[in-house]
Amino acid sequence: MLSPQTPITKPVKLSVRDMDFRYGEKKVLDGLSMDIQAERVTAIIGPSGCGKSTFLKCFNRIHEVSSAVKVTGDIKIDGVDIYRGGIDEVDLRRRVGMVFQKPNPFPKSIYENVAFGPRLFGVKDRTTLDGLVESALRKAALWEEVKDRLKESATGMSGGQQQRLCIARALAVNPEVLLMDEPCSALDPIATAKIEELIFELKENLTIVIVTHNMQQAARVSDYTAFFWLGKLIEMDLTERIFTTPRERMTEDYLTGRFG
Amino acid sequence: MPHAPDTLLDLPSSTTQTVPEGPALEAASREPAFRHSRAQRLADRWAHLVFLACGLLVVALIGGILYFLAARGVGAFIPLAGNTDKVLTLREVFLSTNWDPNAGKFGILPFIAGSLTVTGLALLIAAPTGILASIFIAKIAPNWMKTLMRQVMDLLVGIPSVVYGIFGLMVVLPWVSGKWLSDSPAAGFAVSAAILAVMIVPTIVSLATDAFESLPLSLDEGSQALGSTRWQAIWHVLIPAARARLLTATVLGLGRAIGEAMAIQMVIGNNPQWIALMRQSTDQTPVLRLLFTPAATLTTELVQELPNTAAGSTWNNVLFAMGLLLYLMTMLIILATRRLSQRREA
Repeated sequence: MLSPQTPITKPVKLSVRDMDFRYGEKKVLDGLSMDIQAERVTAIIGPSGCGKSTFLKCFNRIHEVSSAVKVTGDIKIDGVDIYRGGIDEVDLRRRVGMVFQKPNPFPKSIYENVAFGPRLFGVKDRTTLDGLVESALRKAALWEEVKDRLKESATGMSGGQQQRLCIARALAVNPEVLLMDEPCSALDPIATAKIEELIFELKENLTIVIVTHNMQQAARVSDYTAFFWLGKLIEMDLTERIFTTPRERMTEDYLTGRFG
Repeated sequence: MPHAPDTLLDLPSSTTQTVPEGPALEAASREPAFRHSRAQRLADRWAHLVFLACGLLVVALIGGILYFLAARGVGAFIPLAGNTDKVLTLREVFLSTNWDPNAGKFGILPFIAGSLTVTGLALLIAAPTGILASIFIAKIAPNWMKTLMRQVMDLLVGIPSVVYGIFGLMVVLPWVSGKWLSDSPAAGFAVSAAILAVMIVPTIVSLATDAFESLPLSLDEGSQALGSTRWQAIWHVLIPAARARLLTATVLGLGRAIGEAMAIQMVIGNNPQWIALMRQSTDQTPVLRLLFTPAATLTTELVQELPNTAAGSTWNNVLFAMGLLLYLMTMLIILATRRLSQRREA
């Protein structure tokens, strides 16, 4: 899928081959194949209902929380099949974190939100926890704003802070991949800019897959962009190339606003 | 309203033209098309008064009952007009365990302790069971089972308490006695609390299920996306998030339990001297003695004795004081529930 001239390619972190996805009888994703490189930001764009969020959620199997779904084909993380490769979904989700469309902090203190993941995995020592919480909040560029009110409820924060808290919460378990499902759709432009900046810093040692309905955002933050339409992958390439010289007519039409 | 010229393309005029009843509407613009007749307006005013009267009646009833209970109940301690008998001190009534009306002993502590014990035991069974059942219904059961179980719970809430009582008396008592007590009578707190628990579980389940279903899916997803198991998500996120509403559910169950009379009266053994009896007997461990000593509660004692006493007698007045106590306890519980739910909304 990636063109041979791609400048510096990183190893493939997530690979998808011939994947179909069904909710009951309805086929939502059809014959998808793609490679996602480590320590790169891959954006997934496309019109509403094209299956981009569904696709993202296949990487941590979070669909299974609420509904019965059927996935066929292969999705591999570091070459191991995540549906049939002997990884259970709990281990998978520790490695593949997720940030949702609407900020969903737990109704607990800021500290407890971030400490939640580490606690699940048995970290009890107070000093260790304090350290993990601080470093996660720092990575999410939130530490300076909240360091004096860690005991306050997370639900009292602004939307943008809540979303960065959710990012910190995901980072606290040190994931390898971070899935972001339209993370800025509920945020104002300033909060959005902060999150985008953050994405830029985080890709240093994290593989990021971001779904967005905002094409400028995809252009700003991502290295690679995949365009989805009606459950199919139409085109995937370096972001720069997708936005300047797409190969497919459909991609160009979408990007220029002729449909969508 | 004159017809607009065809050349005018603004929306209101074109709409007027397309409405078929054009002339009718024009007539209506001079005089309101629909107006309430005199009779309708009169009915409206009367309806207002009827609603107000009904509202006041309810308030008057509640206030009246309180007044009636208080007037008679207080008569136990203060000489009042209707009294035909001697009065007692508060200490003799509230701090004594000796209930022997024929000997002039009116200690109601056994009934207060009995009510609290049976209610406490019932909640101890019903609250965890109800909350766990509601988690099953809200989070785990497949849809068809969810619907079925919610309907069953609604049905169970509606079963008259005497039916539970009959079941306790005819089925549970003989069974417990035959199975565990080598045929000695099983009446007492254990069976009463079990029956009471069965009665209040549906209330708790219904309210707790609502509590869990009102939580956003994003909390569950958020927790599981961090690698929690389903159970960890329920235990560490969903239950704390629903805590205030779960407490409300439990307190409402408590309210129902403390006022229940019929079903318990049929299985508790109705022994006002249960504290004395428990002290005397030594043949069992203390816990078993507590569970299987025939006992009594505020409600069961009222049902049992009120018909046998003469109005104005000390005995009768003390029973009214017990009624007053129950009334105040229930009020307190209801007020506590309101406070809880208000804090939740805040």
